Amino acid sequence: MELIFRMNIFQSVSEKITKLHRHLNILKVRQPLFYETVKFLLFSTVIILIIAPGLKGLNYRWQWYRLPDYLLLKTKTGISAGPLLKGLSVTLFISVISLCLTVIIGFATALLRLSESITAVFISRVYLELIRNTPLLIQLFLMYFVISPILGIGRLPSAILALSLFEGAYTSEIIRSGIISIERGQWEAAHSLGLPKGLVYRLIILPQAFRQVLPMLASQAISLIKDSALVSTIAIYDLTMRGQVAISETFLTFEIWFTVAAVYLIINIALSQIIMIFERRLKKVDL
Amino acid sequence: MNSKITGDTIISTKNISKTFSRDIKALEKVSLEVKQKEVVVIIGPSGSGKSTLLRCLNGLEEIDEGSITIDNTPLDGHHHNRLKIRTEVGMVFQNFNLFPHMTVGDNIRIGPRHVRKQNQAEADQITDELLKKVGIYDKIDAYPRQLSGGQQQRVAIARALAMNPLIMLFDEPTSALDPEMVGEVLEVMKDLAHEGMTMLVVTHEMGFAREVGDRIIFMDEGKIVEENSIDDFFDNPEEKRSKQFLSKILHNGGC
Repeated sequence: MELIFRMNIFQSVSEKITKLHRHLNILKVRQPLFYETVKFLLFSTVIILIIAPGLKGLNYRWQWYRLPDYLLLKTKTGISAGPLLKGLSVTLFISVISLCLTVIIGFATALLRLSESITAVFISRVYLELIRNTPLLIQLFLMYFVISPILGIGRLPSAILALSLFEGAYTSEIIRSGIISIERGQWEAAHSLGLPKGLVYRLIILPQAFRQVLPMLASQAISLIKDSALVSTIAIYDLTMRGQVAISETFLTFEIWFTVAAVYLIINIALSQIIMIFERRLKKVDL
Repeated sequence: MNSKITGDTIISTKNISKTFSRDIKALEKVSLEVKQKEVVVIIGPSGSGKSTLLRCLNGLEEIDEGSITIDNTPLDGHHHNRLKIRTEVGMVFQNFNLFPHMTVGDNIRIGPRHVRKQNQAEADQITDELLKKVGIYDKIDAYPRQLSGGQQQRVAIARALAMNPLIMLFDEPTSALDPEMVGEVLEVMKDLAHEGMTMLVVTHEMGFAREVGDRIIFMDEGKIVEENSIDDFFDNPEEKRSKQFLSKILHNGGC
């Protein structure tokens, strides 16, 4: 009874907040374009004034014209991917495989932590604490130098494994929070129909939990892509490593780092846009 | 007692006790027998253990002591038995607890499809029939949030009925409803009672109790204080505690 009461309060408060937002949007009158342009120019000038003296001091010779060679290789037979794009394919490969493993590890760990077995809870807790309280870089080195010879796996698999284990720990906490946010009544209704535990999860709990945590899972996926840059430290030729190599050959430090950063930016913005569209589609049918 | 009752005991509990944390005794040595087609109304002040009793009957709460047997299946630690009992016992909750991510139709289909393992055509047929029966066939493709409380509760009843249960448990089915929607839900429940469904109903609706109840159980502090026929309970209660409770709720116009 008390719970409904609280939920009602919560709903009415959130309704009021959305109404308030609508009011604010009505009140928000766009200022004339002229003033906006002046403001923007003033802001830009200040930034340039701060940076410009330093830029002169750098004495950097920009050579953007040399950059295309590192994106696309023009040979006699045609055009093929340059070093940076080759690196991008490695980054994407590592990210996609790690993402799949991350979801599997995350699910398994979340279910272990929620299980009734003390052993399962203990194992998942130890894993979580180890992963979350040590740096990813150290985990990567341990995986590559210590564990991979024991398991007899190569450089790429150990990088993928280290990344998946790291992101999997965070993902499991996200998934767990989604599962425990589902109200007790849903479990009880599902149980009262005689659904076995597996089906309760698959049909009732996980679809609802998934909708709840989708934004957090998305940001975890973005973290994974960014964190994958660390695999360059064990000499995997991903986007970051290719960038480093190209710089050591050409000294195009600025151009290449800007380009590498832009590529990560484009991938991640595209990814979050796709997820946003997906989310909107889910919202249409839900709650 | 009503002549429709055939006499076979379908629910039997013996001395069941349940203690929640911090020594709150929810149930204390409750013994109860319910016969087929009987409609038993359970009343009592809040915290008297009436909801807990219902929830123990389909294994949503585990009992600490005593035994429960439903349709000759003991509700013991065996997982298999518990699932079997849950398929035979339908439950309707105070807060409906519909699955918000599924349409009304899918909410009802889920039991026949995934527990009874019926094919799609059979499940569809049951769903259509039940929605017509509870009078909201036009909402089959709506989502629960688009329905009023009364409509949601009728869907919840249909969902439980789709399992073709032997027994229906109602845990304060009208307590969370706006007053003008109580009637439509009670109508559906009355129809069920007249069709001969075995029902245990925790409610404060005394009019309902008088109209379709065969027996009333008054609980207080985890114990059954009085068990009586409907007429005797209202006109001539045996226990002092029952009299006090009755005078209170009747004064307040039935809670």
